[in-house]
Amino acid sequence: MPSTDARLGRTDSYRVATVPSLTDDNKTADGKVKSRRKPAPKKQRKGDLEDLKQELDIDHHKISVEELYQRFSTHPETGLTHAKAKENLERDGPNALTPPKTTPEWVKFCKQLFGGFALLLWVGAILCFIAYSIQASTVEEPADDNLYLGIVLAAVVIVTGIFSYYQESKSSRIMESFKNMVPQFATVLRQGEKLTLRAEDIVLGDVVEVKFGDRIPADIRIIEARGFKVDNSSLTGESEPQSRGVDLTNDNPLETKNLAFFSTNAVEGTAKGVVISCGDNTVMGRIAGLASGLDTGETPIAKEIHHFIHIITGVAVFLGVSFFIIAFILGYYWLDAVIFLIGIIVANVPEGLLATVTVCLTLTAKRMASKNCLVKNLEAVETLGSTSTICSDKTGTLTQNRMTVAHMWFDNQIIEADTTEDQSGVQYDRTSPGFKALARIATLCNRAEFKGGQEGVPILKKEVNGDASEAALLKCMELALGDVMSIRRRNRKVCEVPFNSTNKYQVSIHETEDPNDPRHLMVMKGAPERILDRCSTIFIGGKEKLLDEEMKEAFNNAYLELGGLGERVLGFCDMMLPSDKFPLGFKFDCDDPNFPLSGMRFVGLMSMIDPPRAAVPDAVAKCRSAGIKVIMVTGDHPITAKAIAKSVGIISEGNETVEDIAQRLNIPVSEVNPREAKAAVVHGTELRDTGSDQLDEILRYHTEIVFARTSPQQKLIIVEGCQRMGAIVAVTGDGVNDSPALKKADIGVAMGIAGSDVSKQAADMILLDDNFASIVTGVEEGRLIFDNLKKSIAYTLTSNIPEISPFLAFILLDIPLPLGTVTILCIDLGTDMVPAISLAYEEAESDIMKRQPRNPFTDKLVNERLISMAYGQIGMIQAAAGFFVYFVIMAENGFLPTKLFGIRKHWDSKAVNDLTDSYGQEWTYRDRKALEYTCHTAFFVSIVVVQWADLIICKTRRNSILHQGMRNWALNFGIVFETALAAFLSYTPGMDKGLRMYPLKFVWWLPALPFMVSIFVYDEVRRFYLRRNPGGWLEQETYY
Amino acid sequence: MVQKKKPEEVTTGFYLKPPDTPWTESLKLFLYDPKTNAVFGRTGSSWAKIGTFYLVFYLVLAAMFGIMLWIFYHTLDPRTPRWKLKESLIGTDPGLGFRPMPNDTDIRSSLIWYQGKNKRTHKYWTQTLEKFLEIYRKPGLTPGRGQNIYNCDYDRPPGRGQVCDVDVKNWHPCTSEQGFNYPQSSPCVFIKLNKIFGWIPDYYNHTDEFPSNMPDELKQHIVEQKNINPQLIKTVWVSCEGERPVDRENIGEIEYIPRKGFPGYFYPFLNTEGYLSPLMAVHFKRPKTGVIINVECKAWAKNLKHDRKDKIGVVHFELLID
Repeated sequence: MPSTDARLGRTDSYRVATVPSLTDDNKTADGKVKSRRKPAPKKQRKGDLEDLKQELDIDHHKISVEELYQRFSTHPETGLTHAKAKENLERDGPNALTPPKTTPEWVKFCKQLFGGFALLLWVGAILCFIAYSIQASTVEEPADDNLYLGIVLAAVVIVTGIFSYYQESKSSRIMESFKNMVPQFATVLRQGEKLTLRAEDIVLGDVVEVKFGDRIPADIRIIEARGFKVDNSSLTGESEPQSRGVDLTNDNPLETKNLAFFSTNAVEGTAKGVVISCGDNTVMGRIAGLASGLDTGETPIAKEIHHFIHIITGVAVFLGVSFFIIAFILGYYWLDAVIFLIGIIVANVPEGLLATVTVCLTLTAKRMASKNCLVKNLEAVETLGSTSTICSDKTGTLTQNRMTVAHMWFDNQIIEADTTEDQSGVQYDRTSPGFKALARIATLCNRAEFKGGQEGVPILKKEVNGDASEAALLKCMELALGDVMSIRRRNRKVCEVPFNSTNKYQVSIHETEDPNDPRHLMVMKGAPERILDRCSTIFIGGKEKLLDEEMKEAFNNAYLELGGLGERVLGFCDMMLPSDKFPLGFKFDCDDPNFPLSGMRFVGLMSMIDPPRAAVPDAVAKCRSAGIKVIMVTGDHPITAKAIAKSVGIISEGNETVEDIAQRLNIPVSEVNPREAKAAVVHGTELRDTGSDQLDEILRYHTEIVFARTSPQQKLIIVEGCQRMGAIVAVTGDGVNDSPALKKADIGVAMGIAGSDVSKQAADMILLDDNFASIVTGVEEGRLIFDNLKKSIAYTLTSNIPEISPFLAFILLDIPLPLGTVTILCIDLGTDMVPAISLAYEEAESDIMKRQPRNPFTDKLVNERLISMAYGQIGMIQAAAGFFVYFVIMAENGFLPTKLFGIRKHWDSKAVNDLTDSYGQEWTYRDRKALEYTCHTAFFVSIVVVQWADLIICKTRRNSILHQGMRNWALNFGIVFETALAAFLSYTPGMDKGLRMYPLKFVWWLPALPFMVSIFVYDEVRRFYLRRNPGGWLEQETYY
Repeated sequence: MVQKKKPEEVTTGFYLKPPDTPWTESLKLFLYDPKTNAVFGRTGSSWAKIGTFYLVFYLVLAAMFGIMLWIFYHTLDPRTPRWKLKESLIGTDPGLGFRPMPNDTDIRSSLIWYQGKNKRTHKYWTQTLEKFLEIYRKPGLTPGRGQNIYNCDYDRPPGRGQVCDVDVKNWHPCTSEQGFNYPQSSPCVFIKLNKIFGWIPDYYNHTDEFPSNMPDELKQHIVEQKNINPQLIKTVWVSCEGERPVDRENIGEIEYIPRKGFPGYFYPFLNTEGYLSPLMAVHFKRPKTGVIINVECKAWAKNLKHDRKDKIGVVHFELLID
């Protein structure tokens, strides 16, 4: 560094003064900063989380600029030297966000390959290979069955694994489009030269120039600004552009005006700043890093599926091992026992079920996407259905996110303006002189203009240049009067004093549109009390009246009422300037007003609010009837928040807060028992001082809660509080600062339009239309899919009993095997798949939005009642059907049932070539195996037949099928499909060689029919009793 | 277990997380809960209810199954299978079998192995044969107690309800008294054709109908028999040979007792009471000792197929006499 001093010379004495005399070892300043920003790695997660809950703690904005330059060894005019920049770059790395840690693809793939039932099937496959290799080494002509079965099992595992992996990666690919969040290029001063660098190459201490339209390339301290405004909405949620300058206005770095943050947008003006932090150390980077570091835990449906897999695996292992032992005790050859074990495993595992679940979830995800809910994580589809609490943003989600004129006060009465999105609300009289006067002021004293090129767009949706309130007035007037711009042209503006925070008014002077009127019109708007102070008369009913106490009282009442609605109120007044003093062509001086600013005529008030979206009240009501608690979490003022909460029903009519009760009873707030108030509006500052116990109390004892003035950090605390209560929490958010809360929530919902990329990355679901009502659709779909998955699983599991029982009978009764492993696979992966998936299309039985959310601790996806129904009852009838067909075919061909018991050993012996049947016929090995395989086929077909009835009874859990109807065409197709597939497998030539499926006589399809009918009748009767005796014993034991 | 709302849930709007109990504790509670006296998660009355429910359910199901099977059983003819020949899976290709069969414990083997001098080793084979032939030797053992036995011949087929006699007593030396000649190291092996209900052999009538793979010896024999009595061609012929050239050398002379096949008057098999499958004995007069001899016997009729793998119309066994 010192070497540069000489070169800089006198001309840059300032620089010399600030450059440290000692070589900067980067320890004092940077070291300190670094140590604060990088917590000790051991308690990183916890530490970071705590860190985030604290406010951001840096001092770069507080120190003087000189100190700043010194700290970063930089210079406002020349920037860093190349050498220093290079050094910094090497030290800190590129200025980019570290992408969130992702599991490597092969790990994900392996999880699919070895998770769930896959492990059990692998065991089966390996046992097959072992059995085959032992047979191959001992017998001359080994049967290839085990080899084939092993290959098939391995193939099943691999194919379902690939399928699930593909589905998962497909939904996670949604994110890739959101990834380009780092600004591309930035203008940087280095060694006095202006360079355009890639944003990644920016280092600490760089002096960067930013102009409107740019993204801020790093966190910068502003050292020069010209009308500079940034859009911090993605970071803080403030939707209006914030002006930025060189002055320190607040100790809080997020509030102060002399900092601009990485990845926010510059919307107006230009600025120059010194980079104070880069990449992951930026405010944005820290939040993004934290969000990705948060532990999200398992989704509810994943928990359910694991629970279910545990049950099934437990049953499979238990049955497999016990029959393995029984086979030994019965004196079977150990290899045979192994083959039994394989059979029991294959029969027990519903091979196709996990794929079915994935497909069902995918179908729902697609349906939700068409309803504007884009689901990133398939499992999140159901999470929304289990949600018991929604923490919603206000701005943009519950509201339309645009200021709209809601009320007007003129002629001493409050008039409601239409705030609906489609202008379907009330209309008001637009002809009264009072309105005309008010409208004239609102039109003229207004700088907002529509952006060009929006001819086709509805007025309310048009984009406007200018501040939100003025835009609201502009739109209101455009709707009321028509072409505002031409009115303004006809009333040429001659002078204007723009709004500023000291005088709190805006005034403009116009020539009138009447060419014969030589006077000027002065119009003014601003803070109502300031406006009133400047008025001496009031315009009521077309007449100018003296502004007496009575009128002031009326004004005050109106002002208070509108303010109480949480609306932003503006006052309007005007004055015709006398033509003698101010003739046309008079030179008005805007900087130093040479015209009167008092004694004006008060015209009225207009109030604005960001109105709720039309569909929201309905959606909130739906949530309420669905037992979902809706909590509003907003950064807005409590009054506004409460007003919106009331208008959308988050605080329902008649429910009072503590403050309301206090006001009603005229007692101090402290005397009100908080338990009496159902509603609560909690201020963020209160929250800051309360511990988690008090938060729990708030959450527990108030059903309708609004958190106002909350910082984003508090959102995370609120989410955690709800989760501590056992709730499944959905959180909506759009800002970067919301992303930890989004990640922490059971389901984070990001906004597709207003949302920042980081929030979308952290979320599980994206609302494409930013509309709260879409969440409700999502809840409905989520609940529906949970119900339908139950049905689907009940359907699939039922056929397990007719699959397992043949093996058990084979071992215990010594009969020829009634159903082979290949046919089991044909059921699980063939005929059962389409019907099981089709249940995902089933309509809801009752209004699922009228019941409480499921209790995640007790309402399981697969419970003992479902197992009892599927295994104990319907499955048994199915098994009976299968065995009946088996005995029929055996008997018709000569083997009466009594002959079959104990015949197994001879039946399966290749050496026995003359096995006698009940009619004295002697069967060769080949012929009786053909008979056995025909029985397998018939058993398989009879399972298909009884599964028709099973599918129909699984459509409903309580209602009669007559009530539900057969309108699910996917399901009807499923029945036809499984039947066609069964016929195909049975009758296609060559199947006897490939799958050992033999053509059946037509009459062999029929024996299962009585059982099919009895399944149907049994379940209809059961459900009839269920409906007749709600809560009765049958319901407790069989309603799943 | 139904979604009942607990009182506190109503007031708070939250489902309360159940307290975390260690799994050993919850297992204990599952096995026996002293609070409710529940065993395996159910109280006594609960077990009784669900037990009764399932008992009734399964009784009804079993009854339904039983009744349907009973009804079905009554649609069947006790003497005639419902599906016959091509209609049935047994088809029209009878298999050929041999006796004595090796021991059950080694059920896949087809090796007849004994030591000529060692009485113990051929005891199994002679006993097996005696057991097999018992029904042929004592007419009272058959279902009809032998009352409908008819002394059939080529010109005297059995009438309705009659069955033909198989006189194994005079098949010297393949008799029980001789120990089926096993001690003499020239054992007898009995050959039988599988019974298929209603199967009628299609006999060779002319020499030009003989298939090319029929042994010349047999062709010659058929011609001779035809010359003796034209009725004699109504026979399902049987020929036995060594499987490979070396076996043919080792097998030595073969004698067919009582004739080289099964007489046609035994067919069709109609499950008549007391019907006995026709038999023939193959007497290996001087088989080479100390080597395994692969023997293959084939039955011959126009509608008989031969498939070595599926053992249709052909039977394979090995002889090893030490």
